[in-house]
Amino acid sequence: MNDTVIDPHVFDELQANAGADFVVELVDTFAAEAPTLLTELRAAQVAGAAERFRRAAHALKSNASTFGASRMATLARALELGGLPPDTAAVDTLAREFETTLAALQALARQ
Amino acid sequence: MSAADSVPEDGLFGRFEILTAQRQLRVDGQAVALGSRAFDLLAALAARRDRVVPKDELIGLVWPGLVVEDNNLQVQISALRKVLGTQAIATVPGRGYQFTVAAAAAGAVQATRAPERSVGAAPQPARLLVADDNKVNRLLLCRSLELMGHEVASADNGRAALAKLRGERFDLLLLDLEMPELDGFALLEQRAADTALHGVPVIVTSSLEGVAQVARCIELGADDYLHKPVNPVLLKARVDSSLERKRLRDRQAELLARLAPDLPGTAQGADAALPDARRTTATLLCACVSQVDTLPPHDTLELLSRWTTLMFDAVEEQGGLVSQIGGDSLVAAFGAHRPAPGDAGAPWAALQAAREMGELVALFNAERSASGSAALMLSVGIASGEVVAGQAGTPRRSAYVCVGAAVQRAAQLEALATQRGGGVLVDAATQQALSGDAAAHVLAPVALPGGSTLMQAYALGPD
Repeated sequence: MNDTVIDPHVFDELQANAGADFVVELVDTFAAEAPTLLTELRAAQVAGAAERFRRAAHALKSNASTFGASRMATLARALELGGLPPDTAAVDTLAREFETTLAALQALARQ
Repeated sequence: MSAADSVPEDGLFGRFEILTAQRQLRVDGQAVALGSRAFDLLAALAARRDRVVPKDELIGLVWPGLVVEDNNLQVQISALRKVLGTQAIATVPGRGYQFTVAAAAAGAVQATRAPERSVGAAPQPARLLVADDNKVNRLLLCRSLELMGHEVASADNGRAALAKLRGERFDLLLLDLEMPELDGFALLEQRAADTALHGVPVIVTSSLEGVAQVARCIELGADDYLHKPVNPVLLKARVDSSLERKRLRDRQAELLARLAPDLPGTAQGADAALPDARRTTATLLCACVSQVDTLPPHDTLELLSRWTTLMFDAVEEQGGLVSQIGGDSLVAAFGAHRPAPGDAGAPWAALQAAREMGELVALFNAERSASGSAALMLSVGIASGEVVAGQAGTPRRSAYVCVGAAVQRAAQLEALATQRGGGVLVDAATQQALSGDAAAHVLAPVALPGGSTLMQAYALGPD
């Protein structure tokens, strides 16, 4: 299951280039920052603020790609490029994917 | 390695190695003959290479307990530049000198000049700035660059990045596009409008999609564009390449500054505008050194290089600008490109420069006579009047020029001084501008050959 959530090649390369200890730190930072961005996504959707919505989705896509979290990156990218959605259903899906991604990353980082 | 003002330490600086215990300088591993004072001066400058060292401080270090004129110091500086290259010691007019060669990492001998570095040589550490509001991206980018051996600072928005760029020296900016306060595009626009920031190259890093964004960044002056997530191999290649280009540009700027230094309206960079021509009152100085062509060709050129270096120092020290170098002669303008410093104005500055030139040549001759070499003869002509000053030439080659009757008079006076066996001759306009000054009494009227009535001349006598 993890293989589809996190691209192992991207993650291995990240560890090799930046150092495994540093990647643990980086995952912790992602764990702290992403919920704020998800909150911003919801707030922007409610406020009808398309640009704010796009920016928050863009930031999540960017971070997910860094870790090789392909599925989460694909979901975030769809939000970034898709315009303001009518409800928060897609945001909820992304938030659930983030939880899965984070659990997988934390397991991989501490291996 | 610290550059504390303590006991001079052994050190490796590019191609140069200073061995304190043996009092020896090695260049490319070979010991080089250096006078004792010159060695002390080098050790003093190298130990204080993190700052400009005032002349008084250097004199105190090299000639402890002695009262010594500035000129002795200039002669020793000139001797060091002959060995180390002119760029190794920078003259900061009015402040002093600074040793500019970076200390090499232990065991790694690196060439000091960028163009001489072989392709693929280990790049020197640089100071980089990362601007990204996304903490994960920022941390990762900083980490990657630090692992390449660079010193990295960061900013989490464009405004903070711009403030850092304006306040500190950076060799490269890695810029995200989407940021609060001031985004990457706005930062590039502000950089484009501020010539002081043109020297810092920018690599844009973004995960924005579409070539339009990339094109816009390049149009706004970014050097390169890297898509996020940034591939570390590509990052290293682009960073090294940008830093190498910057080193070459800095070197070109140095060369440009040697050819056309500090001119009004001259901005560094590709869009540098030539300063407007203007009509102004200035004092011109023509100097010529004779009796050098009897030497072997190589020695002649070496001697002239040293002479020119000393004369540049004398001119720049008085706020003048050397507008022409003719090998054994030079023309300098005072008060043309910018007002002469001090209340006494351009005539006084030119006279002081001439006096310093005379003293420098006397010291230089004393050094040469000790080694059995023939003395040089210096002739100087000084004239004041209205000139047209500005940049002239072709798009391929141009120079700062001064044109006017005063320029011709200065050249004629220099020729007359040569006929008289050297010395300094001054025209009537300069003498009148100085009368009332304490300097006037040192100028005595002289009879020109053939009873010339074209102009009056005054000779500069001893103090």
